[in-house]
Amino acid sequence: MPSTARRRLLVVLASLTVALLLADLAGWGVADGVRRAGAVVLGPVQRALSGAQPDALTALERENVRLRTQLADERRRAADLGRLDELLGSTTTAGRTLVPARVVASDLSPLGGRTVTLDVGSRDGVRADSTVVSAEGLVGRVVSVAPWTSDVQVLGSAGSVVAVRVGPAGTLGTVRTPVAGDVESRPRGSLSLSTIAPGTAVVGDVVRTLGSVDEAPYAAGVVVGTVTAVDPDHGQLTRGATVRPATDPDAIDVVAVIVPTARSTPRSTTGATR
Amino acid sequence: MRPTLLGVLRTAYVVGAALTTATLLPRLGVPQQWVPDLVLVGVVATAVLRGPVHGALAGLLAGWVVELVPPVGSPLGLMPLVGMLAGFVAGLFRRSSSRSWLRAPAALVCAAVVVLAGRVASAVLAEGGVEPAVDASRLASTVVLGAVLLPALLVVDRALVRRRLG
Repeated sequence: MPSTARRRLLVVLASLTVALLLADLAGWGVADGVRRAGAVVLGPVQRALSGAQPDALTALERENVRLRTQLADERRRAADLGRLDELLGSTTTAGRTLVPARVVASDLSPLGGRTVTLDVGSRDGVRADSTVVSAEGLVGRVVSVAPWTSDVQVLGSAGSVVAVRVGPAGTLGTVRTPVAGDVESRPRGSLSLSTIAPGTAVVGDVVRTLGSVDEAPYAAGVVVGTVTAVDPDHGQLTRGATVRPATDPDAIDVVAVIVPTARSTPRSTTGATR
Repeated sequence: MRPTLLGVLRTAYVVGAALTTATLLPRLGVPQQWVPDLVLVGVVATAVLRGPVHGALAGLLAGWVVELVPPVGSPLGLMPLVGMLAGFVAGLFRRSSSRSWLRAPAALVCAAVVVLAGRVASAVLAEGGVEPAVDASRLASTVVLGAVLLPALLVVDRALVRRRLG
């Protein structure tokens, strides 16, 4: 072959290669076609070279892999069932109508906080502003619902404020995410509690939701967390506190959506007894 | 253009070498870091006898064979371009006047360094990992095997050309 023709061939082939490289980097299907062709043509040769034949050893190895996969699957199912039992047996869910669900996706917002997607949606009876709980306590509330999935704003997301009762006395307050302008700094992942009535939370106090009309967005009496620190006294009317959430937002798996059940019958009156 | 015996043998060598490197040697228990780049040895053998353009062409085509032997490389086309560069560099060592036996191994070392640089560059660009010990031992095994294999390939090539079969 003359030198110029060879040079021309080299340029053409190199250009084609660069084009294919760019197509592959851009995710176009043509590169996958080339890849499949390579595997179709050379794969059988490789199989023959590596001596892959369906003998007894190969069959046993295959069986082993299949059984191991099955075992792992069963173990995962058993663990799920255990978590579901725990959730259904917890005080959070007692006496409520629930839709069990599992987290299928999770997104960390750049503004802080987390949104998770559950594998239940409007077809399962989930409505927007339903409360989502785990065996440990409050997870968050449903913000948007699709037929088969629903998105949940996890407690501690920017802009989420929960009305709560604190401690045995049931002091009213609100729990929200600590913001940059706060007087007191709080550990990462904790929540900020401010009481409405003049009263002071005590370390160890359990914080529960106050509840809303028709249990939306938050059902009453669900554990939000525990008070871990109380802000120092600077002479302010009410003192804030740090709350550690009951649910770890990084490890939410099996949860339940509380389906709001609106009251349809009037509450019966009872006369006071002397 | 009629295919010559040399062309057929060269193609067979490249395909055989690519399959041996990818399948046979690992199957025989040769550790990954000691698997030599047999295809590169063939490319260098062609390049040092015929010059940079022919070397680049041989490197490009051989790179495609290596790329298409499963597991197919990703991104597709990188290995042929690196092979082309390696073949070109090896071709620069062609001297029709000199017959020093050191020329071919020196070309192989340079080509292997080009391949290594291509691997490192793609790893850096794709934020992948580089294992310097593994790459260094692969380069060493390629050079050691090449020192034995290259003279034999060159002798066969020259003999076929002399008999007008290449």
